[in-house]
Formats: sequence, C-alpha cells, structure tokens
Amino acid sequence: MLVILPILASIFLLILTSRLNPVARAKFDAPVRMAALLLSLGMFTLATLMFLGQIGGVDWNNITFNTFEFQESYVWIEQLGITWTVGVDGLSFPMVWLTTLLLPIAIVATWNEKSGATYFPLMLMLGGALIGVFVALDMFMFYVFWELTLIPMFFMILKWGGKDRKYASQKFFIYTFTASVIMLLGLLTMYFLMDTQTFNMQDMIVQAKGENANGVWLGLEVQKVLFIMLMLGFLVKLPAAPFHTWLPDAHVQAPTGGSMMLAGVMLKMGAYGMFRLPISLFPHALQEFQFIIMMIGLVSLVWGAIVCLGQTNLKKMVAYSSVSHMGVILLGIASMQPLGWAAALFMMFAHGIISPMLFAVCGAFKHHYHSMEIGAMRGMARHSPWLATSMMFGWMASLGLPLLAGFVAELMLMVAYWYEYGWWIIFPGLVLAITAAYYLWSMQRTIFEGGEETQPPKSLHGEPVPDIDNPEKLAMLLLAAFTILFGIMPWIFLDMMDMWTRSAMQFLGLGGD
Amino acid sequence: MAAIGGMSAEDLKLLAPELTVFVGLLLIMIVPNLGNGTFRIPGTSIRLPWFLGGTRYKFVSSPRLPGLLAVLTMAVALFQVVAYLINSNGLDGDVVSSNSGIEIFKINMFSRIFEAIFFAALLLAAIASLDRLPIGPQKSDDIDVLFNNRRQADFYILMLTSALGMSVVALAQDMFVLFVGLELASFSTYVLVAFHKETRAGSEGGAKYFIVGSVASAVGLYGLSMLYLWAGSLQFEVLAVKWADDGGSALSMMALGFVLVGFAFKISAVPFHFAAPDAYSGANSPVAGVLATASKAMGMLGLMRVLLIVTIPEASGGSAIWIGLLGVLAAITMTWGNIAALGSENPKRMLAYSSVAHAGYMLAALTAIGAWNWGLAEDAEGAMDVVVAALLFHMFVLVFFKLGAFLVLGVLEMEGGASRLSSLAGLGKREPLLAVGMFLFMISLAGVPPMAGFLSKLLVIMGIVEVATGTGSLSSIGDAHWVWWLALLMVLNSAISMFYYLRISVVMYFHEPEEGREGPLASGKSIRVAIALCAIGTVAFGLVGGELVEICRDAAQSLR
Repeated sequence: MLVILPILASIFLLILTSRLNPVARAKFDAPVRMAALLLSLGMFTLATLMFLGQIGGVDWNNITFNTFEFQESYVWIEQLGITWTVGVDGLSFPMVWLTTLLLPIAIVATWNEKSGATYFPLMLMLGGALIGVFVALDMFMFYVFWELTLIPMFFMILKWGGKDRKYASQKFFIYTFTASVIMLLGLLTMYFLMDTQTFNMQDMIVQAKGENANGVWLGLEVQKVLFIMLMLGFLVKLPAAPFHTWLPDAHVQAPTGGSMMLAGVMLKMGAYGMFRLPISLFPHALQEFQFIIMMIGLVSLVWGAIVCLGQTNLKKMVAYSSVSHMGVILLGIASMQPLGWAAALFMMFAHGIISPMLFAVCGAFKHHYHSMEIGAMRGMARHSPWLATSMMFGWMASLGLPLLAGFVAELMLMVAYWYEYGWWIIFPGLVLAITAAYYLWSMQRTIFEGGEETQPPKSLHGEPVPDIDNPEKLAMLLLAAFTILFGIMPWIFLDMMDMWTRSAMQFLGLGGD
Repeated sequence: MAAIGGMSAEDLKLLAPELTVFVGLLLIMIVPNLGNGTFRIPGTSIRLPWFLGGTRYKFVSSPRLPGLLAVLTMAVALFQVVAYLINSNGLDGDVVSSNSGIEIFKINMFSRIFEAIFFAALLLAAIASLDRLPIGPQKSDDIDVLFNNRRQADFYILMLTSALGMSVVALAQDMFVLFVGLELASFSTYVLVAFHKETRAGSEGGAKYFIVGSVASAVGLYGLSMLYLWAGSLQFEVLAVKWADDGGSALSMMALGFVLVGFAFKISAVPFHFAAPDAYSGANSPVAGVLATASKAMGMLGLMRVLLIVTIPEASGGSAIWIGLLGVLAAITMTWGNIAALGSENPKRMLAYSSVAHAGYMLAALTAIGAWNWGLAEDAEGAMDVVVAALLFHMFVLVFFKLGAFLVLGVLEMEGGASRLSSLAGLGKREPLLAVGMFLFMISLAGVPPMAGFLSKLLVIMGIVEVATGTGSLSSIGDAHWVWWLALLMVLNSAISMFYYLRISVVMYFHEPEEGREGPLASGKSIRVAIALCAIGTVAFGLVGGELVEICRDAAQSLR
C-alpha cells in the first residue's frame, strides 16, 4: 500500500493538471503541494506505526535473514510466474522508513519550487518507486521499480535542473540504464540456471543455499560471472569509482528536492541491492572478490576525498563526499564481519539523513545567494546565521562527529576493518582524519572569516542578504534532530540491522565473529 | 489454384475475416461510384436505372466515406480474428485444400495471431489516416470533391489490398501462395509509400523502395524456382521432408539463400535495409508505421515458415545449418541500426533505423531457435516455443508503440513537416498529452519497464538465455552456447539506443518550438484517438500482458 498509493496519486494529480494551460495550472500548485505533503506525512505515520508495533505488532529485532514481515503475494502475470510479492525485513525496513521520512522533508524544503503542480507529483512517484524497490521480493517487480525510479528523476533534473541539465539528466539515465540491463541479463541467466525456476527472491536464496551446500552451485566460474554482472548494476548506482562520474553531474544540476532524494535514498538502492541479491545468492563469489571490493571501496573513498578537496563548487563537493561515503559502505561489505556489514547498513541509514541535510543547505544557499561557489560564502555566519549553523552541523555530522549518526557507523566500520585487514586500516583512517581536518579548516575560513568588511557577496548584485525561510528552517531542524537522535540512540534501528547481518552471515556460512 | 473455385461453405466460414476484407474492398470500389446513372437498352428508349455513374448521390460523394468503410472493414476483420484467438483451443487448425488435395491455407493460432498483428496495425493506420489526407472544401459539383474522393478511395483500396495480401501470407501453406500474397502486399505498399507523389521525398522514397523491393522479390522468386527444381513441390510439408532427406545439397542451399534475401528485405535486415530510411521518411507517417510493423511482421512470418518448418533439423540432429550466418546477420543488423540511428537528425529516419535494430533483435531470437537442441536443452521443443512466443509477443506489441510514435509524427506532419528533430521541439508545452504519449512510446521502444516494450524484450532475452544455458548446470559461462553473447549484445544495444530515444524526449520537453510553430497543433480527432489507443496498448500490455503471452504460447505450439 505504501508503494501503490503515492504512484497512483501522482498519476492522478499529473493527469488532473496536465490538461490545463500554464496559468490555470499555476493555481493548482498550492493544493497539489498540500495534497502531496499530507499523503507523504500519512505514509510516514504509517511506517512509524509499523515500526512501533502499533500496526502488525512485529518484533523488529528478531527478524532473521530471509524471513519477512508484512508479506503479501498476489499473482501478477501468471503465465510467466511473475508475482507481486512484498515484504520487509531488517535490511529493508530502515530504508523504507527513511524514504517516508525524507519525502515530506524534501517537500517542505523545496516548498516554493516552481511548477509545483508537476513537481510534487513527480516527487511522490519517486518515493513510491523507491519504496517499491525496497519491499519487492519478486525479481521482476524489483527490476520494474528499479527502472521506474529513473523516470521521475530524469524529468526532475531535466525540468528543474541547472544550466547543464540536459547533459546531466541523459548521462544519469544512460549510465544507470546500461548498468541495469547488464544486471538484468545476469538475473535472467541465473533464473534459467536454477533447478526450480522462480522469480521469488526468498525461494531463490533458499535454493542457492541448498545447492551450494552440495558442492559449489553452478561452478565457481559461472557464479563469478553472474556476481560481476549483478554487482555492476549496483556499483554504478552506488556509485563506486570508476563508475561514479554521473553522480556529481546529476547532483549539481538536479533541483534540491531531487538531490535530497537522490543522495538520501537512491544511492542506497545500490547498496541494498548488493546485500539482497549478489551477496545473498553468491557468498562464495563474494569471498573470491572480497579483496577487489575492498580495493574499489578504498579507491572510491580516497578518490572522492581528493576530488572533494579541490572543489570550489559546494554542491559538487557534497556530491564527491557522497562517493567517499559509499566507498565506506563497500569497505564494510568487504570486511566480511557481521559488525562491518551492520556498519555498512547503518552508514546507508545515517548518510541517508545527513546528506539530504547538506543538499538542503546547498539548495538554500543557491536560492538565497544565487551561487554555488564556496568563495561566495564569506561572512555567511554574520549574514545568515541559520544557514551557516545548518551547514556547519551538516558537515560535522558528515565527517563523523561523535554523538551524531555518522560517527556510529564509522566507528563500527573501523573496528570491523581492523579485525579483517589489520594495518590496512591506516588508509581509510588517515583519509577520514585528514579530510575532516581540511573541511573544518576550510569551512572556518570561508564561513566565519572574511566577513569583517560585511560586504555581501557579489553574486547578490547588491540585494540585501537574506537568511533561509521558514519551511527550509523546519526541514533542516528536523534533519538535525534525527541526526542527533540516531547518534545518541543508534540502537533504534541498529539492533534489527545487527540481527539481520548476524543471521545472514550464519545462513550464508561466511563465519564471522 | 483451381481449388478456389471449389471451396465449400465450410471453407468460406473458415476464411470469414479474409472475405470481410475482400467485401470491404469491393465496397470501397463500388460505393463512391453510386449515382443516378441509367442504362439504355439498345434499340429502345427504355432507360433502366443501374445506379453506377451519372450524378453521384450526396452521401456517397463524401470524401470521408472510403476511409470510414476501410476502418469498418478492418475493425470487423480484426474482431473476428481476435475472437478466434480468444475462443480457440485447437492447436491443430483447419486446412483449406485444393481439389487435388494440396494444402493451400492453414488456419490456426499461429496464422491468426499474425493476422491480428496485420489488421491491428492497418486499423490504427486507417483511423489515423482519416485526418491525414487533404480533404477539399465540400462544395457539390466541384471536381475537387470527386478528385479528393477518388484519391481517398485509392488510398484505402491499397490499404485493404495490402491487408488481403498479408493475410494470404499468414495462411499460406505453399511457398507459391505465400509469394503471391507477399507480392500483393508489397505492390500495395510500394504505391502507398509513393502516395505523396507531389513531394520530392515521396516520389524518391517510393522509387527507391520499389526498385530495391522488386529486385529482392525477383531474387526470392529465383530461389523459389530452384527450390521447385530441387524438391518438385513448394508445399512446406513436402519441402520439410525433402530437407530432412537431402538438406545439405548445393542447390537447396543456394535456393534457401535466395529465398531468405526476399524476406530479409521485408524485415529490413542489414545489408538489405538501405531503402528503408528513405521509404519511411518519404511515406506519410501512418504508412511508414505500417511498414515498420505489419510489413516487417510479414517478412518475419516468411522467415519463420522457411527456417522453422522447412530447415529445422530433427530433435536429435544438432543445430540448424543457417545458425552461424543468421547470428552474424543479427549482430550486424542490431548494431548498425542503433549506430545509424544515433546520427540521424530526422525523426522518421531515426525510427526507421530503430526498426532495423529491432529486426536485429528478432533475428537474434531466430538464431537462438536454430541452436535449439545443441545438447544442454532437455526440452528443446519447449525452448523453441518460448522463443517463438516471445517473437510473436514482440511483434504484436510493437504495433502499438512503433506505430504510435509514427502517428505522433503524423500529427506534426499535418502542421507542416516532421523531418527535422527540431520539429518536435516544445511539444511538451504545446501538446502535453501528445508529448506524454511520445515519451511512453520512446521508453517502450528502449525497453524500460513497465511498458510493453520491456516485457517483449525481456521475453526475447529470456528465450535466448534459456536456449543458451539449457537447464543443466554450467561450470563456466564459456560452456553456454554462443547465442548467449547475442543476448549480451542485445542488452548493450538497448543501452546505446537509450541515447536517441532520450534525445527525442529532451527535444520535446526542452527545446523552444520552432519559429511559427507555437501553440497547440492542428486539430485531428481521429489520429488522436489512434494515438490514445496505441498508448493504452503500450501501458496495458506491459502491466498485464499475461493473457497475450498465453495466446502467443498457444500460437507458437501450433506452429509445430
């Protein structure tokens, strides 16, 4: 229901307003926005009640690997054995909850977006498709929603984006589409290699486990090829170096709401997919590729950080820091420890709260200062204290300040990494430390200093310097509150992630501990 | 052929859809000529009214009449065919034979689903054409009315003759009958392509299409004569028996190659595709849409009959003899089509090249069938059914989104041309619904879920992969049959094709309209109805295509 409702509503709203001429449509902006907000708030309430056990009464911390709650299954295309099967577990529920959280916040943060009658329905469609990806337990359904997320995002970048939006939106679409068709071929090949052909992921995982137990299923060679094909689709989405180049372009050009959803949830689709399919299906291949994945993660981390240092464009900097963080997720996977996997999962979650905040800051900055150049920020703390505070808070959270959500994930990761790789820890450790220092230093220079003359930046063309408006303030406060909440009480979701990773490791026979 | 005279009432009943088309054809010829003309009995002054010629009745001189008649005819024929498909459980089918016992037509699910494809495409094109042809001012006594009326009548007569020819191809059990139907349909389409003879593009496209097409037909006929020389009969069944006996001989191989050329032109496979872009861009859009869907399905039908009935080896006999050649052809066709489409600035040429690429995908699927029992597949015939069903499904849904895309261009043509990419500029603002329709068609062509194009591409890839991997377990991917790599090439090609399909959307939503082409487009209700039908089909078969898949599977089984 969380999936279908927003998509149907968005189609309804789009059709409702598409017949009108532009002037008449502008009158619909406010009601449509309100409807979108109410609907997304409703979804958030539903998801929260599910979490609190008011609906369903689920004991979230006891869901083991490959068991699902709220499971529903209907026949979709009978002749092909395709079903509509949904369900959530410790892996997917935090992401579902995160999506429902970010959706209203993104709507509030971009409250005054132009052509709202089209924009907000697209937002809803995006949210619905994202949730669809996370809850789908049927391979076909999963792929359908996976691709469906591209369409609203493509239009959001294309219509509300920056100067190079054409290039960015096409690059975004083509990169991820190419990767996912390769993934599709991998999925289909695997489908035919199973003894009992099924699209149901749950059955597939059980079957793969069973056949793996009688010697190595399919032969390691085939497992490896399929593993690569599947991972390719997810690595591009994540994105990991060297497939990350679509991300900065897409982010810089995307509208704020789009960036928030893109960084907050869409990137996590990649990591989620890795856990759900290739890792659960081909644990032996994972062991084979463990070191390569670690290297890809390390390269993403270092590369993202280095490029980040050289950026003068604020949004690009945030985008590259996302690449860095996604590298951390790969490191977590490659650590092959339950702790590391849980760290990766929590990183997905924490980054999903922190990076939207940073993008909201970017959006507000662009909105009020008409520039993205870091140089234009001089003296921001004096002119716009709210914005400056939010930005500092966002960066600190992103760098892993203790008591904020990002710290928990990074700490767990370091421990797990140390177990597995020993002194290799120097690389991620040093990178994290150095970049943290550098950011803080540069922020300090640009935000606080240089404002003595109290000259507002040139990009304002002499207008008075504004601070952020109330909807933006609300969005940032909410995100900051959640960042602190999950920094102090990470166990809210960490427990179920931990349960999932432990049972997964055990189920897949990867040892750990 | 003498048998036609001796058809029983039973046979007539079986051929009801075809006879409907035939009756419609006669009606379009006769009705516009009805008038108060009289016939004087020689030697007397008695005049008998005989209703032909003279002053035409007001009703029959309406220029819209032929179009309406054609739409009605196609709709009735399509309804009959669809009713057969839904109600039929028989995989056996019924045979119409000549007096001497030679099978001429066979009516089963397989031939009927092709007829459904043909009739659906022609019906949609006919609906769209109601607005497309210039209709002069409605003054009586005006020679223009008559002229327009005549031209209208010509256009729809040609449409119906091509429908008749195609259905003969679908039903034929004899190579000769098949070729007669093929030529009937081809000649109609040659004229339809050149129908806008006043424009340079129209006559150029028509001439090129005719010359290349007739050469291909001639080569095909030559191959046919060699086949006859070799086997002494052109019956598919007889040929199949003879092939199992003496398949590898030089004569038969040469004959087969020549016959394939004739069909390869129809599906515009490389290297016989060169006339296609000119023909598509010269023809008016509904006709181009028919070429890309119905005419192409006709070529595929011929290929399937020849390759899958005649030359497929027995279940124990390894892979078919043409598999290597066809595989290379498929790979080149899909890649060439996509790369050429990347560089074309004319949307109709782009769609033509995309249609070449789609031909490549279909050839890849046929290649996979050729490998059907190469050792791993335990259920070779089942695997073949899966691929054939995928092909049928693909051709059926292609009607909706390919033709739909051409029809959107057709609306633009009514306003003043769709020969540049920039003609589409600003469509998102000018006509939001049309732009949404075009976007759906484009992503469906590219194969993005949840459109019908995705399901069809998925089915085709699934079919290829199933044949390639078999159901046993592989120890390395190199052990799979090499047609697996065709599937990989196909997904890579889908990714390439994304570029040019997306570019259309970008231009529609993003570029400012050309000078003098702002504001909503010329009205045209019926073409919009046709586009809406296409869009509904595109989405509906993508979401709930199960029934159609079932029908396609039954049809595929009835081929054997």
